[in-house]
Amino acid sequence: MRLRFSLLWAAVASAVGLLVLAGFFVQVPVLIALGRVLVGFAVLLAGAALLLGLYNLLSVHMRKISLQERGWAYSALLVLSLLGTFAIGVFFGPDNPVALVLFNSIQLPVEASLMALLAVTLTLAGFRLISRRRDLLSFIFVAVAVFVLLGTGPWPSGETSEAFILVGNLRNWLAQVWAAGGARGILLGVALGATATGLRVLLASDRPYGE
Amino acid sequence: MIAQELLGPAVLVLYVGLMVGFALLGRRWPAVFRPLHGLEALGAAIERAVEAGGRVHLSLGTGSVTGADSAPAFAGLAMLSRVAAATAMSDKPVVVTAGDAAMAVLAQDTLRTAYDRARAPDRFQPTSGRMLAPTPFSYAAALPTVLANEDVSVHMLVGSFGSEVALAADFGERQRAFVLAGTDDIQSQALLYVTAEHPLIGEEVFAGGAYLNVGPLHRASLRAEDLLRTMIVALILIGTVLRTLGDLL
Repeated sequence: MRLRFSLLWAAVASAVGLLVLAGFFVQVPVLIALGRVLVGFAVLLAGAALLLGLYNLLSVHMRKISLQERGWAYSALLVLSLLGTFAIGVFFGPDNPVALVLFNSIQLPVEASLMALLAVTLTLAGFRLISRRRDLLSFIFVAVAVFVLLGTGPWPSGETSEAFILVGNLRNWLAQVWAAGGARGILLGVALGATATGLRVLLASDRPYGE
Repeated sequence: MIAQELLGPAVLVLYVGLMVGFALLGRRWPAVFRPLHGLEALGAAIERAVEAGGRVHLSLGTGSVTGADSAPAFAGLAMLSRVAAATAMSDKPVVVTAGDAAMAVLAQDTLRTAYDRARAPDRFQPTSGRMLAPTPFSYAAALPTVLANEDVSVHMLVGSFGSEVALAADFGERQRAFVLAGTDDIQSQALLYVTAEHPLIGEEVFAGGAYLNVGPLHRASLRAEDLLRTMIVALILIGTVLRTLGDLL
């Protein structure tokens, strides 16, 4: 019985995927409309899944609090914040001034700080790369990164100096010829890999929805 | 116009034909893949983690199921089925996190199926597949807690990421974990090249299933990809030569 259900789920997933895919290629109004309805269902289900995700998040942290695991105080703070902002959003709406203040005063600065931390992390990682992976490619990678930075940033000698123009032109040549060519090659591989992944799901070889 | 409309389906039919053909041929003509150090070292790293009481963490990224960037996360789910089977009997089975709730639900389904197949359904915990945080940087901010509290010693990042992936990989390096990371975004791949011990570049993120022996269609699709890429490169070169000759004559 279980095997039959497994085949049924696989057949439904494949059929729905093929219908939506067909709507992209064949300009038949019925197919396009059907595809839109099915994608709409998917978006609706993804929205409902957010509630499940929140419940899951609460379960993980409530368990940590009840077992007094390492860092349980942070979990308690998370649960309180989650319930508080959720209640404000549900009862007063997401555009409520309190909700906006919470978002603009806490969420945005924290995320901006992490973005700033990225620059420091990458600089340190660059040094670590040279010490850890001492091969030709790593040296080329770091040397090109430094050269592109030199060609992009302002110089003390000014932007009209011959050296600045020469470095700038070399930077453009590296970015527009070598980097763009390499990026197109990588994109080609990524597109083929992504298509193969999608086709495996359509063929029910990969079943991320379980069995 | 009609020829252009038919080109897309024709390429897909060719792709499927090649995949099925290579899958059938695979038994008599096994595929030989080039060495990918990160994916080859992953098995040993998981074994070490299981023996030493460490945990494997797999991140499916911050992309959504309904977005155009869901493919690498699906590749991550395929790898998850093997990783879950390998860690099913350990004290600390694999933990999966995602930025998207629907992706976390799919991760739970994949885990449940993997434990059922390993005849250990009681090992499944719904909290093993988690949604960490809905925005990319809040997801990255939540990762260090997971890595530290769960004693993670193998940190896999296989999904859709933006620039936050550099922080996500760096947190793993600071934990001295085995870090294997791949994504579909080119700029993020450049960041991973610097921050991750074992970065997956280009289409390597989609090759995990083939290298981990998830199924015959995974190996076959890798061979089909290689053949199609060769054909596309040949067509580009022929087009370039013909165009140059046309301009000269």
